[in-house]
Amino acid sequence: MSVIEVENLKYRYPDTTTLVLDDLSFSVEKGECLGIVGENTAGKSTLCYALAGLVPHFYKGAYGGKVTVNGLVVREHEIATIVENIGLVFENPFSQMTGAKQTVYGEVAFGLENMGLPRKNMHTRIEKYLKLLDVYSVKDKNPFDLSGGQMQRVAIASVLAMEPEVLILDEPTSQLDPQGSKDVFKVIEQLTGKGMTIILVEHKMEQIAQYADRVLLLHEGKQIDLDTPEKIFSRLDLKEFGVRPPVVTSIAQALTIRYPDTQLYPVTIQEFKRLEEMK
Amino acid sequence: MNRFKLKDIAFSYSPDVSIFEGLDLTFDSQTTAIVGQNGAGKTTLVKIMKGLLKPSKGTLSIDGESIADQTAAQLAKRVGLVFQNPNDQIFKTNVLEEVMFGPLNIGFSRFEAEKGAREALKKVGLESKVSDNPYDLSLSERKLIALASILAMDTEMVIFDEPTTGQDFAGKEKIKAIINELKAEGKLILCILHDMDFAADVFERTVVLNQGEVILDGQTRDVFPEKNVLEKAYLEQPYVTQIAQALGYNDSFIHESELVAFLNNKK
Amino acid sequence: MNTMTLYVERNSPIHRLDPLVKLLYVAASILLTYILPEPLYIGGILFVTFLLLIIGKVFRNSLPIVTLSMFLIFSLVIVQGFFHPDNVTELFAIGPLVFYEEGLYVALVLVMRVLVMVGAFSLLILTTATDEMVERLIKKGMSPKIGHVILSVLQLIPQMRATMVKITDAQRSRGVETEGDLLTRVKAFFPLIGPVVLNSLNETKERSIALEMRGFDSPMKKTFLNEAKQYPHNKLIAGLITGIVILGIVWRVFG
Repeated sequence: MSVIEVENLKYRYPDTTTLVLDDLSFSVEKGECLGIVGENTAGKSTLCYALAGLVPHFYKGAYGGKVTVNGLVVREHEIATIVENIGLVFENPFSQMTGAKQTVYGEVAFGLENMGLPRKNMHTRIEKYLKLLDVYSVKDKNPFDLSGGQMQRVAIASVLAMEPEVLILDEPTSQLDPQGSKDVFKVIEQLTGKGMTIILVEHKMEQIAQYADRVLLLHEGKQIDLDTPEKIFSRLDLKEFGVRPPVVTSIAQALTIRYPDTQLYPVTIQEFKRLEEMK
Repeated sequence: MNRFKLKDIAFSYSPDVSIFEGLDLTFDSQTTAIVGQNGAGKTTLVKIMKGLLKPSKGTLSIDGESIADQTAAQLAKRVGLVFQNPNDQIFKTNVLEEVMFGPLNIGFSRFEAEKGAREALKKVGLESKVSDNPYDLSLSERKLIALASILAMDTEMVIFDEPTTGQDFAGKEKIKAIINELKAEGKLILCILHDMDFAADVFERTVVLNQGEVILDGQTRDVFPEKNVLEKAYLEQPYVTQIAQALGYNDSFIHESELVAFLNNKK
Repeated sequence: MNTMTLYVERNSPIHRLDPLVKLLYVAASILLTYILPEPLYIGGILFVTFLLLIIGKVFRNSLPIVTLSMFLIFSLVIVQGFFHPDNVTELFAIGPLVFYEEGLYVALVLVMRVLVMVGAFSLLILTTATDEMVERLIKKGMSPKIGHVILSVLQLIPQMRATMVKITDAQRSRGVETEGDLLTRVKAFFPLIGPVVLNSLNETKERSIALEMRGFDSPMKKTFLNEAKQYPHNKLIAGLITGIVILGIVWRVFG
């Protein structure tokens, strides 16, 4: 069974008239990394909220269809139950620090305390995720004294420590500097390598091409396409949806460097190089 | 011509950590990108240029005229600074009023201010939203409002702090067009960036800051091939440059079209 | 980074006391100044409070707090010294200002009482980490939500100050003068306060999403990272304090 199943999901925010999510249906398999792309008004963040239960529990409004995460129907369970199955990290690292704890260590513990995890299991878990996210060395610091990149990694550690089946990353690096983004993507690479199910929203198509197994293309709340990065980024009408392909793909298009069998264009530098040498 | 000149600037936030020690930089008519890590001193630099911070040593001048004694509010007539987070400035209940606020402060008449504001909103593509409440718009639209509110002041210099964060493809294209338009109007353009691809694509000159020092300064084309120096500042090359190098070409490529043309010729 | 707590980390027997016991001491000492409202007794309580501040190695840190409350103390002396309704016995005069014995007596009691309050609160605040106290109160049944509000406010006020600096910069860049005469400052008020309010609303929304994502509303029984500390002689000390208060009441009624 798929980890996430979305069936005919429709949603509009309270006091508005347009559907932000308009009849979405797809599923995500265990261990898969799904990229979500589209312009700013496409509904990417709202979809993330709907997967994590913030829609319809935190944001009310008109809701139709069904979202199932790890066997739980999102609409029928409280957010607190859903977050043990799916975690969400968003762009602003600063507002993801709860303010309730004076150390990074305590910050990671916060979710576990709320879950009611017995104390004897807490320390091993906290340390495991502090190390995984490479923030163990700052465990005794105040979270607000960290750099943006470190803060974001603490936010990811805090969510992962609750050991959800799926991790949603909604533009996790857009407010970070180059080094901070690099560190976060290093972590994403590790997690995908470990077989974590990840949903990644990102403006840099090069990153989507690098990590996503499949890409969901949204436009004005509608599901335009869901396919492999090669298929999505080879679409000639991509720019009509406010998305540009990775630089390497558009160069490949200009030079008609493509896979001989599928006629699709490469999306990573490695593949580009391979195909160019073949030619 | 050296229009904006910083000479021998020293600055520190606290006595034991100095940000700049004897920084010299001049800006002429070229559009310039300033890149570097957080903490490299980019924001401090533009705040000094804008009069928001006063250097402990050194001189600042525009067209030879010293501006060291002017307050930020006085400098507002000459230097516009577009901040990163629009929520730090928006407070009016409609878009037009918000954009007119700056011009009115620096002595525009209501008529002139409205004219300037409408033109600026047209530039950023929000002319249809003049009477909306800014907080009903999206964050990327609010960023454009903040940008328009500086453009409306018609300053001879415009400094941008991270204009592309949170913008999608269309938003970036719009900002690129605005920068080129301002350049054509003869304005001095400076931009702090984390987005190397945008820097390579749009700006004529690039300055790399690292720990308060300029470690690279030159034509964008000459700066980005310097992989080793960039790495010292924890920066990556633009994707186009990376692709060219991965393919084994060490020439300087900073635009997609150049690389395509080069590869086409080679065939 | 300065957070808003005044906690001073020291190794002292007072630091090792249960925050609730210290809270009890605050209540008891203030209560006693009402039960036994004579300078001699209040002086005694004051002496004990200051002694505890010294044992807690925070006496020096309490001085700024006491100084801050001097303004209140001073105005008490003036008002009571001049205007107390029972004023009959003229004590001394400075120029046209006449001080009366009755008024000054009342003022003295009030001043000492304020000092006890300030001293006892300083003892609590300076020797107790805020999170330890809040956690203790939550374990005793206080709502975790209230606990979170207390803690996060203390952490977030310094952050708000940083936001305020950014907003000031942004508005100065648009020609707002923020320094100068009163009129200039008044004019700058709305452009500065508007974004502050809107910004914090925005941040609050994002932070509540982050809290939701950490299961803050979970119906599960909360557990705690920090083990319940063993507080030495907890019951004994609490009993002692309560005993003294009862003794005070008895003294007052029958004495």
